[in-house]
Amino acid sequence: MKQRELLALFALGLILLGLPLAVLGYQYWLRPALSPNRIIDIAARVPEQAGFAPDAIRVAVGETVTLRFASMDVTHGVAIGPGLGVDLGPIDPGQVKEITLSFDHPGIYTYYCTTWCSPDHWRMRGTIQVSDPANPDVVPAAQPDRVIEALIAEGIDIDAAHTPPAEHADISILAFQPSAQRGELVIAGGLDVPAELRDPVWRQSHTPAQALELLTGQNPATSERDRLDAIAYLWTQDTADEALATGKRFYNQNCAACHGQSGGGDGPAAATTAEEPVAFSDPGYMFERRSDVLYAKIRRGGMGTGMPNFGTLFTPEETWALVRYLWTLTFGTPPRTHTG
Amino acid sequence: MLNQGRIDLLERMPPLKRVLKARAFQPAMMLLTLAVFTLAILAGLAGTPAGNRNFGIVFVWIVWWALLIAVLVPFFGRLWCTVCPIPAPGEWLQRRAIVQRRPGRLWTRGLRWPRRLKNIWLQNLGFLGVALFSTIILTRPNVSAWVLLSFLLAGVVLSALYRNRVFCRYVCPVGGFIGLYSMLAPVELRVADPDVCVAHKTKDCLTGNEFGYGCPWMTYPGSLQRNAACGLCFECLKTCPKNNIVLNLRAPGGDLLVADERRLDEAYKAFIMLGCALLYSAVLLGPWGWLKAWANMHTLPHWGLYALGFVVLNLAILPGTFGAAVWLARRIARQPQPLRRLIVDYAYALIPLGLAAWIAFTFGFVLVNGSYALAALSDPFGWGWDLFGTASTPWTPLGESVLPFLQVGVLTAGLLFALHTTYKIARQNSAQHRAAFLATLPISGFAVLITLGFLRLYLG
Repeated sequence: MKQRELLALFALGLILLGLPLAVLGYQYWLRPALSPNRIIDIAARVPEQAGFAPDAIRVAVGETVTLRFASMDVTHGVAIGPGLGVDLGPIDPGQVKEITLSFDHPGIYTYYCTTWCSPDHWRMRGTIQVSDPANPDVVPAAQPDRVIEALIAEGIDIDAAHTPPAEHADISILAFQPSAQRGELVIAGGLDVPAELRDPVWRQSHTPAQALELLTGQNPATSERDRLDAIAYLWTQDTADEALATGKRFYNQNCAACHGQSGGGDGPAAATTAEEPVAFSDPGYMFERRSDVLYAKIRRGGMGTGMPNFGTLFTPEETWALVRYLWTLTFGTPPRTHTG
Repeated sequence: MLNQGRIDLLERMPPLKRVLKARAFQPAMMLLTLAVFTLAILAGLAGTPAGNRNFGIVFVWIVWWALLIAVLVPFFGRLWCTVCPIPAPGEWLQRRAIVQRRPGRLWTRGLRWPRRLKNIWLQNLGFLGVALFSTIILTRPNVSAWVLLSFLLAGVVLSALYRNRVFCRYVCPVGGFIGLYSMLAPVELRVADPDVCVAHKTKDCLTGNEFGYGCPWMTYPGSLQRNAACGLCFECLKTCPKNNIVLNLRAPGGDLLVADERRLDEAYKAFIMLGCALLYSAVLLGPWGWLKAWANMHTLPHWGLYALGFVVLNLAILPGTFGAAVWLARRIARQPQPLRRLIVDYAYALIPLGLAAWIAFTFGFVLVNGSYALAALSDPFGWGWDLFGTASTPWTPLGESVLPFLQVGVLTAGLLFALHTTYKIARQNSAQHRAAFLATLPISGFAVLITLGFLRLYLG
């Protein structure tokens, strides 16, 4: 009987002391010690409850780290950018997803939520500062953006109000939706397209309205609808399928909550923003937009509008892919005979 | 005569008797459940706050609850109390032993439990209190862990102050309803011959001897007529020198007809359990999002309204409406007994309906959420572990097509049981069949209305 009592006491000790020590010891000491690389646990909560914790990580160039994201409340999604192509997809409450990364040069990366998780969803970001082990205290400087610099040098007000100029208020483009698909047929049918309009660089820095003026001067006898459809085609023809898919994914993850899945400015969070989100599906609005200004707005954010910046999330190439996708919301998807 | 129509399982199954008589049996079971309990508390305090991935929530409020309400209580009565870990540390401290029978006095202040609290009113209030915050307790692992820990500490403190299992008998909110519904179970611990107990002078079952302790539940087996106050610890089986303890298989529900032990506190327990099942079903399974938001304490004023409604429904509206039905029954059947006594008597007829309602409610969320158990088993803390390779098991609701049939079947069985019990109680109060039948009608009407309410909630 004495032996049984001792055995029971031992079992009780194991349960009350051994079990907690074993569990906590494994999780916080043994598991990291056994891992071949550093493990960083990141708890994801809605931004009202502090967002990512930690929200800043320091990693050395060449170091391999495992980032382990755990959702603590609602379904989140995690992606890391710019340019890493890391998208962990949705993370349900209590679920854990991890990614092992190694960085080969200094820089600052952002991990961010890709699922509309709360009204402050866009605030849910954290940074990975990759530093040079030789100069660990040097914060990698952000690279200047030549597109934005050029716009500033040109005197363009990137943060100008959304309202279209009055001179185009009665333009018949508002009466119908230009079709990129039809535009290709119009051009193939002999429409005289000025050389500037065929130049992708020119199109990036000019509005469809400016293109319409040139096209009208060259083709005074053609119907306005044909000209607008031709512009729709030209503004959507530069995008490869893959880039379009990237743009669509970024749009759905990051923009659709406010701007709407179809670009109607009517996303579920539209009512929460400081200013009404613009409707990319509205040709009347987009007719006056330049691609490079859209690009700059995406990267810098819309000052005072509630539009966050995405320059820390996407590479310039990814941002262009997003801009090109926006034009497809206005003019429809072009035929896939041309890729650029 | 006492055990007529019953089968003594101990006589039929000698190995079972050997197991239950072994001193190591109960502590071994308790150590096992204590390990799970410790894990649940640890997961609640240190694990993910997402309840559906936390062992503490999934295994306590889904797995354990389903096992308790749908299997253990209806079929084995207080068997959970046999293995429950909550009183274990307190009891072991009191005895200064886990397995062996240590001679000498219990290690306790030995205070007297107040006479006015020798009932289940505290358990009723405790259950109401837990139920009131249940949407929080059942979904937030840390809150759940603190509640479980507080039960454990209460057990230890009360054991240090009072002899035996005062916590289990008079305080534990879970023990209260297990006791109530254990009266329906087809298993009972009784004595083979009460006269043997009367003639037995030393009453070892109460005082203990070298083979075991006096009844920790402070129950005298010789006068045991119902399961409610017997915790199935089997100490009496160990201590009885007359081999007079039996474990019977019987027809379910016989305890409801033991007229001289019916009490107002138990009647209220029946109302509270029925009312809580109704409210839980409305809040958790009903279509009213605003009600769920109120219960979830989204705003304090709304929760205040919810709490007020909760308490008033359980303590006033449901008993009041039932009292009106009994008043009508008394009037049309011309029963001479005082109204209060009849309300208490007939309230016992609601016990089968209450248990059926809880089982039906439990089916509703266990089949839907049961698949979380596989993920929580492999990753109990939500830390990305995968102990058994099931951590990625997706949420898979089960039995959607059979669930309504299960719920309707259980509720119908509970209703029929309730109607049958109502008539039997009515016969105890009326010599004539006709009067008993008339008395049954309003109370049956009440039970039918309540059942229809549940069906409306479950079937939409």
